[in-house]
Amino acid sequence: MNQFEFLRYVNLGQYLPTGSWIHRLDVRVRILAAVFLLLSLTLTGRPVALMIALMGLLALLSLARVPWAYALRNLLPPLPFLLLLAVLQVFFNPRPLVTDTLIFQWHWVSVSMASLLAGVTLLLRFSALILTLSLATYCISTSEMIHGLEALLSPLQRVGVPARMFVMMVQVMLRFLPFLALAAERIAKAQASRGAQWGSRRGSLIQRARQVIPLLVPLFLTGLHRAENLALAMETRGYDGESAHTSLFAAHFSWRDALAVMVVLMFSVVLLLV
Amino acid sequence: MYKKVNSTASVEIDIITDYIISELYRVIFVHSILLWSYFCFSSHTKETEEGKMKTVSALIEIENLSFQYPAGGAEPMRALRNVSLRIEAGEYVALIGANGSGKTTLARHLNALLLPSAGTVRVEGMDTRDPHHQRRIRSIVGMVMQYPEDQIVATSVEDDVAFGPQNLGLAVDEIRRRIEDSLKAVGMWELRHRPPYLLSAGQIQRVALAGILAMRPRCIVFDEATSMLDPLGRRTVLNLIDQLHHEGITIITVTHFMNEAARAGRVVVLHQGRVVMDDEPEKVFSHVQELEEMGLGLPATVQTVQALKAVSLNLPGGLLRVDDLIRALPDYTGGKTPDVELSPPKSHSLSTQSALVEVRGLEHTYLSGTPLAQRALEGVDFHLAEGSAHGILGSTGSGKSTLLQHLNGLLLPQAGYVRVGSFLLHQKDVDLQSVRCFAGLVFQFPETQFFEQYVGDEIAYGLRLLKRTKEQIRADVRWAMEIVGLDFECYKDRLTFTLSGGESRKVALASILALRPRLLLLDEPLAGLDPLSRRELLTKLKRLQREGLTVVLSSHHMEEVAELTDELTVFHHGKDVMRGGVREVFDRVDELRAFGLEPPVAVRVAAALRQRGWHLPPGLIRPRELAVQIEHLLVRSSYESV
Repeated sequence: MNQFEFLRYVNLGQYLPTGSWIHRLDVRVRILAAVFLLLSLTLTGRPVALMIALMGLLALLSLARVPWAYALRNLLPPLPFLLLLAVLQVFFNPRPLVTDTLIFQWHWVSVSMASLLAGVTLLLRFSALILTLSLATYCISTSEMIHGLEALLSPLQRVGVPARMFVMMVQVMLRFLPFLALAAERIAKAQASRGAQWGSRRGSLIQRARQVIPLLVPLFLTGLHRAENLALAMETRGYDGESAHTSLFAAHFSWRDALAVMVVLMFSVVLLLV
Repeated sequence: MYKKVNSTASVEIDIITDYIISELYRVIFVHSILLWSYFCFSSHTKETEEGKMKTVSALIEIENLSFQYPAGGAEPMRALRNVSLRIEAGEYVALIGANGSGKTTLARHLNALLLPSAGTVRVEGMDTRDPHHQRRIRSIVGMVMQYPEDQIVATSVEDDVAFGPQNLGLAVDEIRRRIEDSLKAVGMWELRHRPPYLLSAGQIQRVALAGILAMRPRCIVFDEATSMLDPLGRRTVLNLIDQLHHEGITIITVTHFMNEAARAGRVVVLHQGRVVMDDEPEKVFSHVQELEEMGLGLPATVQTVQALKAVSLNLPGGLLRVDDLIRALPDYTGGKTPDVELSPPKSHSLSTQSALVEVRGLEHTYLSGTPLAQRALEGVDFHLAEGSAHGILGSTGSGKSTLLQHLNGLLLPQAGYVRVGSFLLHQKDVDLQSVRCFAGLVFQFPETQFFEQYVGDEIAYGLRLLKRTKEQIRADVRWAMEIVGLDFECYKDRLTFTLSGGESRKVALASILALRPRLLLLDEPLAGLDPLSRRELLTKLKRLQREGLTVVLSSHHMEEVAELTDELTVFHHGKDVMRGGVREVFDRVDELRAFGLEPPVAVRVAAALRQRGWHLPPGLIRPRELAVQIEHLLVRSSYESV
């Protein structure tokens, strides 16, 4: 594994154009569906609901013609952290309820039914959230995302909320991230070739923290410099933040889209009620 | 009956009608003449009026423009002083000048990105200071900038091109049509759904150009738009510029490359914020002395022409493009070809020396195991003799940088054998820090990686990490600074961000040299510098190499490579496709072209001369060598004919 491949950690643009039924839905529907799912997954507290959600997500992955193995691979990198959190949750549940059934106790370490459930819930919830986000990135390309957001938020513009500005910010951020990752990679390499030790775990914490300064200062400066150039380029092309602007978004809302929205909405409500 | 009775009367009537009719004719005739002359006259006056309009307001009109950048506290820096220029519609103007001469500042005044401190700039008669005109002005004068990726707004090519027309508030159908037209014009239509970070610099620059074209400007300013591109990308953009100019779009190009300036119809030279020359390129480039003093050079073609004329080869005037020069080359007329053995200019004999670097079967894939996986090196072999200067050529993404990064252990081989000095990099337990000190790598645009406030600290960074003593650090920093030509006392306490382009490049070089590497790896060391700094740094590098440092250099500029290196490796799609002495490789013109490279002008001229019967030895890569050989030939043939 290469210690300098920062782009590896940027998970954007993993759009998979499989041309499935889901991909052909109105992009607003896809965004709304993702939002509904994320909200219900965050708000629900029951392992049963989360199990149902996971099964629903796997079904959606099949519908989107994304191989399960490919999607599930996204769970691997955060898995150690999740397991650690779950274990902490299970063993060090701060306040076992009186009604709780104790399964195991050793000195101040205790495992109760409730803490076990809490651990499982945590694992399931994060897995479901990660899968939802992956599904969304597989099915919504960044440019569709921008168009969709613009269409969804444009009514707010009339109320005086600077929706267009917000969408522009998201857009610039999305397109800047990969380039910033590349810049960080280049800077880290340059400092390493001047003797800095990247990736090596030697040295005290302070020493390692000090290694970051030679990375952050140039990254910050490059970022500023680029932002300035970008602002100039945008001005050159007639952007001034306020005046009229044509949207390229062509709405094609059909009965299928309506159906999809209804289904997802109902699914989310069910998750909350179970 | 009736008629006869009134015969006299009828005659009278006839006479009267005749009179009336003739009178009518006369009136009609006179009036038509009057009308005709009126139309002629009026259209004539209209024409002269239009002519007057043209002479009154040019496309861009700059009067006594001065500009100073606001500087907090310090004395304001005057970037432009009393500049007056008129640019007519349809012109092709090149703006040249050393770093800090005000070129970019001037360019940014042309579409109201900057507003004058004094004087006026008018575009189609509209003052750029008037905020109501700014949007209109920016749709008339478009601009393509130096850093390709900084101009991209959107997350896909298509959306990015739409950005300008969207801001103009055009209808959706019209925008779609313009996206198609402009992407097709720059040859990027097939890649319209790509995210920009998966494109090469040359491709992104074409997208940026398409984004401007979609606004249908009358004038496009190219601000060092080719400086970040490889030879192929540069040639493509330059050809596009020519094509746009033929279609009637006014072109203004700001450039450090004299070759590019020579393509324009008019060259404006800026020096310390003033216009010092404004003429046809032919005339501007005849002021050799003045240009030299301002830190500018001559186009390679003009240099070659001068060298050839110096040995009294017959050439017409006004040769600015290589193709024109090649067409104008004379046939060999001096008697029969002398039957003498050809002696190519001497190269270093390299095979006898021990190899400092040995690479066999090197493989590398970026982002392996992801959908973005990209094969960068495929079974690469590479040998480097101690004390040699090796050039690496190839287009962007051909694997040059990847190889360089393997030579100092930034990247570790995924497969293959890599030996650098006594370090075996394909083995797991190699001491990477020692490798990186042994082989110092200077990155492209190293000054963007500065993080210390003072020059001295910046150079000492690596030494401090190596835990050297204070005295030793001081001595090493001093040594490195003197080597690159920066006075230690004078520069060690300078603030890094106040350095000029050439100075910061020297600091970056010194910060690597301070670690005393045996092998110096340079990735595009001269990119983005003005001709004067280029020349200075090239001299320094040559001296280092003569003193025994082994140098590997990757570059897009063939003239630099011809100056500095004695061996070449050419990369193409991750493979080492050509290898050998610099003279031999450059002589294989057709192969180089197939890999998107263009050999130096002198090589191309030599090849053309050989075709015309000149009996020139192989391996002529510099104008002077070529001239010397031609002189030999002319002298010898005249001697033989006597």
